[in-house]
Amino acid sequence: MIEWIVQHIFEKYNYWISIVLMLIGFYAMIAKENLLKKLIGLSIFQTAIFLFYVSLSDVGTGWGLRFGTAPIVWEHGIHEGYMYVNPLPHVLMLTGIVVAAATLAVALALVIRLYEEYGTIEEEEIMEKEMEIERGT
Amino acid sequence: MKLLPIVALISVILLGSLFIYVVEDVPAFGDPYSPPNRYIELFSIDAEGLESNLDAGVLPAELRTKIEEIGYTKENAFPSLEEGKYEIERKEGEGEEGWDVLILKGELFYPGLEKFYFIKEEDTKLKVYRYSIPVRWEEKCEEEMATPNMVTAGLADYRGYDTLGETTVIYTAAISVILLLRRRGRL
Amino acid sequence: MSAEKKYGRDVVIETIARLMIPFIQLYGLYVMMGTEGAGGGFQGGTIIAASFVLYVTAFGITKGRSKFPESWNAAFKCLGLYLYAGIGLLCIIFSLGVAEYLNYAAVPLSNIIGHADTRALMIADVVEIGIGMTVMAAFVSLFFDLAWKEESVEEEGGNAEE
Repeated sequence: MIEWIVQHIFEKYNYWISIVLMLIGFYAMIAKENLLKKLIGLSIFQTAIFLFYVSLSDVGTGWGLRFGTAPIVWEHGIHEGYMYVNPLPHVLMLTGIVVAAATLAVALALVIRLYEEYGTIEEEEIMEKEMEIERGT
Repeated sequence: MKLLPIVALISVILLGSLFIYVVEDVPAFGDPYSPPNRYIELFSIDAEGLESNLDAGVLPAELRTKIEEIGYTKENAFPSLEEGKYEIERKEGEGEEGWDVLILKGELFYPGLEKFYFIKEEDTKLKVYRYSIPVRWEEKCEEEMATPNMVTAGLADYRGYDTLGETTVIYTAAISVILLLRRRGRL
Repeated sequence: MSAEKKYGRDVVIETIARLMIPFIQLYGLYVMMGTEGAGGGFQGGTIIAASFVLYVTAFGITKGRSKFPESWNAAFKCLGLYLYAGIGLLCIIFSLGVAEYLNYAAVPLSNIIGHADTRALMIADVVEIGIGMTVMAAFVSLFFDLAWKEESVEEEGGNAEE
C-alpha cells in the first residue's frame, strides 16, 4: 500500500501539481460571478494544461539517470552522455498557446460590448435586467 | 450561504479524486524509454532459432505474419515489409542490445532508410518494439534540414500544415475583434 | 481630448523608452530568425509587438496611433499569410504537379545548393518572417482596439448607469 503511494503519488508529482492548478481554474470559472474573474480562471486552466503536456516530454532528472538538455543539436554533449528532451510536445503546445491568446482577446472584446449595453459586469445584475425586459416593464 | 460555490466545490473534489484511476497509466516522470519518448512495446514471441535469421539480415516469416495480424499492413498506410525494401542492423549500447529494422519509405525528396522496428532479446523471448516519431526528428534533423533547432524545423517543415492553420486563427481573431468593437466610424 | 489633458509628461519615462525601443526591436528580429539557436516566428513577432505597447504606454495613444496607421497594419497582416500559403502553392507549380503542398525541396533553387540547404533557407527567410509579421500586426491591432476610448462612449456609459 505504501509502496503504491510512494510510486504513484510522490514520484509523479508534476502531474498532481498540474491537476491542482486545473481544478483551481475550473472552480473560478464556475463559482465566481464577475465576468472578468471567470476569464482569469479560463487563463489559469489553459496554462495548467500546457504544463501537463510539456512535462510529459522530460528526459532524465538526475539521481542516476542521464540528464536532458534542450533540443538543439550539440555534438559535444552527446559524447558526454546527455540526451535530448523530446521536442514533439513543445511543437504542439506552441500552437496551443497562440490559440489561447486569441481566445482571451475575443472574450475581452465581448466583455467590453456587454458593459456598453448593460452598464455592469456582474452576472446577476445582467440576468435581472434581462428578466425585466422579458416581463415587459 | 449561496448554493453555487458549494456545488462547485463538491464537483471539483470529485473530479480531482477521479485522477487516481488515471495516474497508474501515465508514464513516469523523466523516463527516457517511455512510449512518448522512445518506443512502444508491441508483442513478444518465443525465440527458437530465429536469431540466426536476424543476423543474416532476413526477417523471419512468423514475425511478419504477427505484425500483419496486429494491423500494420499496407492498406492502413504503414510501410510494407517486402523483400529488398528493408535492412536489419545490429545495435549495441548500454541496456539496448538488439536489432533495428530499417525500412525505405519512399517519400519525395527525403532519401534514405528509416528506423522503424526494434527487436530485443530478453530471457528466451523476442520482444518487438516500434519507434516513436521524435526518434527520427532527433537523428535526422541536421542531415535533412541543415538546422540545429529541432523545434523550429518541426514547426515549419515536419508539421508545417498545422502552423498554417494556426496563423489563420490569429488572423481571424484580429478581424473578429475589429468587427465587434468598431462602429459608427470610430478609429 | 479630455483624456489627453489629464496625461502629464514625464522626462524620465520618455528618455528610457526612447533608449530601449530600438534594442527591443533588434532583439525581436534576432529571435525571429531562429534556426541556429532558440527562437521562432511566434516568439519574435510577440517581442516586436511588445515594443509598440511600450511606446503607447510612455507617449500616449494618439501619438502611438499615428506611428502605426491602419493601412500599414492591414498590409502586414495579409502579407504574412500570403507569403506562407503562397510558398506552398509555388512548390506544386514548380514541380509540375509531382510534389505535395509545402514540400520545400521542389523549388528549382535545390538544383544549385542541394535539398538540405534549400529547406534551411526557406524556413528561416520566408516562412518565419511571414509568421512573425502576421503575429506582430495582429497583436498590435488587438491592443489598440481594446485600449481606445472616445468621449461619446463615456457619455453613453453614464446614461446607462442611471
